Amino acid sequence: MNFIIPSAEELSYLRADPLLWEQELDVRPEVAEAIEKAVGFRAGRVHWRSEHDHLYGLELADLGRGRPSMAMVYGHWDRYEPRPPEHEIDSDLMDFILWVADSAPTLNPSDVSRVAQFAGLRPTWPDGSVLRTPEDRFANLPGFPYEPRYVEVEGLRMAFVEQGEGDPILMLHGEPTWGYLYRHMIPPLAKAGRVIVPDLIGFGRSDKPVADHAYSYKSHVRWMRRFIIALGLQRVTLVGQDWGGSIGLRVLAQMPERFQRLVAMNTGIGGGFNPGEGFMGWRIFSQRAKELDLPRMMKSAVRRRTLTDAEAAAYGAPFPSADYQTGALVFPRLVPVRPDHPGAYDNRVAIDKLKTLKLPVLLPWSDSDPITGPWEAYLRKLFPNVAPPLTIKSAGHFLQEDAGEEIAGHIRRWMAET
Amino acid sequence: MLKEKPEWLRMLFPWEQKALRVNGRTMAYIDEGNPEGRPVLLLSGNPTWGFLYRDFIRPLAEAGFRAIAPDWVGCGYSDHPRIDAAFTMAHHIADLVSLMDQLKLRGFVIVGQDWGGPQGVGAALQRRERLSALVLMNTWLFTGYVGKFHSSPRPWTTWHAPLIGQFFMKRVKVLSHQGPAAVSRRGMTAEEARAYHHVFDEPDSDHVVLTWPRTIPLREGDRGWADMQAIERRLPELGGVPTLLLWAPEDNVFPVEYAHRLKELLPHAEGPVLFANAAHFLQDDRGLDLARATVEFLDRTVGVTR
Repeated sequence: MNFIIPSAEELSYLRADPLLWEQELDVRPEVAEAIEKAVGFRAGRVHWRSEHDHLYGLELADLGRGRPSMAMVYGHWDRYEPRPPEHEIDSDLMDFILWVADSAPTLNPSDVSRVAQFAGLRPTWPDGSVLRTPEDRFANLPGFPYEPRYVEVEGLRMAFVEQGEGDPILMLHGEPTWGYLYRHMIPPLAKAGRVIVPDLIGFGRSDKPVADHAYSYKSHVRWMRRFIIALGLQRVTLVGQDWGGSIGLRVLAQMPERFQRLVAMNTGIGGGFNPGEGFMGWRIFSQRAKELDLPRMMKSAVRRRTLTDAEAAAYGAPFPSADYQTGALVFPRLVPVRPDHPGAYDNRVAIDKLKTLKLPVLLPWSDSDPITGPWEAYLRKLFPNVAPPLTIKSAGHFLQEDAGEEIAGHIRRWMAET
Repeated sequence: MLKEKPEWLRMLFPWEQKALRVNGRTMAYIDEGNPEGRPVLLLSGNPTWGFLYRDFIRPLAEAGFRAIAPDWVGCGYSDHPRIDAAFTMAHHIADLVSLMDQLKLRGFVIVGQDWGGPQGVGAALQRRERLSALVLMNTWLFTGYVGKFHSSPRPWTTWHAPLIGQFFMKRVKVLSHQGPAAVSRRGMTAEEARAYHHVFDEPDSDHVVLTWPRTIPLREGDRGWADMQAIERRLPELGGVPTLLLWAPEDNVFPVEYAHRLKELLPHAEGPVLFANAAHFLQDDRGLDLARATVEFLDRTVGVTR
């Protein structure tokens, strides 16, 4: 267990919920002593960040017995937001009590595991809480013949397609699309490396939790991190657009050693300020909508060419009904647009890390994207090793549709140089 | 999961109490009227529960709205944990946000009185895009002005002082058992008074009645100070939201000066429309009149369809 000291600023954006408390810890003095030994003191509070990226606090109080005699475990959540799904908390507390058992000489962690198994403590999604789009919705997709592959992350099935060999080129889509968006870029880039195009949880062929609160910026980052670890990806060239970039940049900051290049297009990493009228308008529109008519939206958003009906329909394929769209419907409000918004602090921490990275960066950017226009200049200043501007003329937000082959060509040339 | 509602209460409050898990605890609510209509969240305060809005349910439902009256955790038919940390302002707000998310409410209206004001508006600010209108009654959303009642030691600050508060609020139950009936203007029947207090009959079940007064921000550093300031700072974001102030000027907890201060902060608000012969629990004193004013306002501004 790695104990950390969070900043006062971070804690001020969080609230503390008590999760476990023990008022007479000295019923088992050896446990109290073990904890005291492990954390190095008998009164006060330590924090740690869990596997699920949540922040917890352990508070010990010495009530005058010469050793800790009261202990509380707090979860620190985003101040005004519902706390994370209970199975994530259970799993984090499980890791914590295994650590306690590991530290206390009279307890055996394998006994703890067995007891937990007896209690039915396994992070699972209850029946009906996750939807899976029927495979026949994806029959005969124009230009996307790739066989889907799957990995499991946190009990959810995450889909991806894969082409080519060599160092991985990981291409991440955003709101409200799926891997299909990259179909013009897959064949050319598959000649330059192993192209991997996952569908985010809630999108494409990946599983779709029904509840709003299953989705957060943090959970998307975590799912992507686990996806990368599950596939064992190293020396990755990361390509991200829209949320694909926002998530990818956070993952990059968390494990930069796995990445060798970054291509960010029409994306951003919000540190908690208003990103402009274009986005705020979309945010309000989407939060009032009950269902997104994606074929129609995609047809009007693609500028340089006209999507055929079959291509437009492919964007609606993952969502047989509005129930399947939760992930797409909540995404716009997960963008941190205020300093106290969930994710804003994590993004500022990530930005500090990104500034120090020397990896080569390419920023293909549309000249007519109403949503992410100003972000190009921001990212350009952020990274020390960034290629000259690459403006994609008269392209809209979904530049992979407008100019997929063209951008793939630029990326290949740039990859050869770097 | 929920406690059974006693027979005598069904006569006064026939609606089915539903429940959801929010932040690990059970939150009870009633959900009546047109399920497709615009959702109207009816938010009570200390020490009441959805029962306070009983005169609102039928008029709203008949006008085609969806009336949802949740009980804050610690109140009514929700869980009554005995843990201070479950009753911070942030926690109450997060509980309501969770309910809004789980019910997938869009285009909702917040109707708030007492703590229903700051907690309802606090939650609405987290889901600003889904908020369509605000109706505020005898409440506050700011730290800059404190009335006599909240700052005076007789009885208020003494009632909730450390240790002394445990005696008055929890042992003698001055507020949870006697509050609503004591200030009623129209005079409550014994059964109505009992409807308010029977949810606090169990020993230690009225912890929230003590934590709420202690959260009122009188000066910097008070429990509710930072959260109330955060809400006050964000009030300009509500500029485009149709807002109505309904007020009982005879309430000595939130006299009409509070309405004037709200009006300064939300200059586009209509009102305050004043209702005489009503005290702090104005929904109980003049429920039907307030419900009518609310329906009229909503019909005129945001309408019944989302």
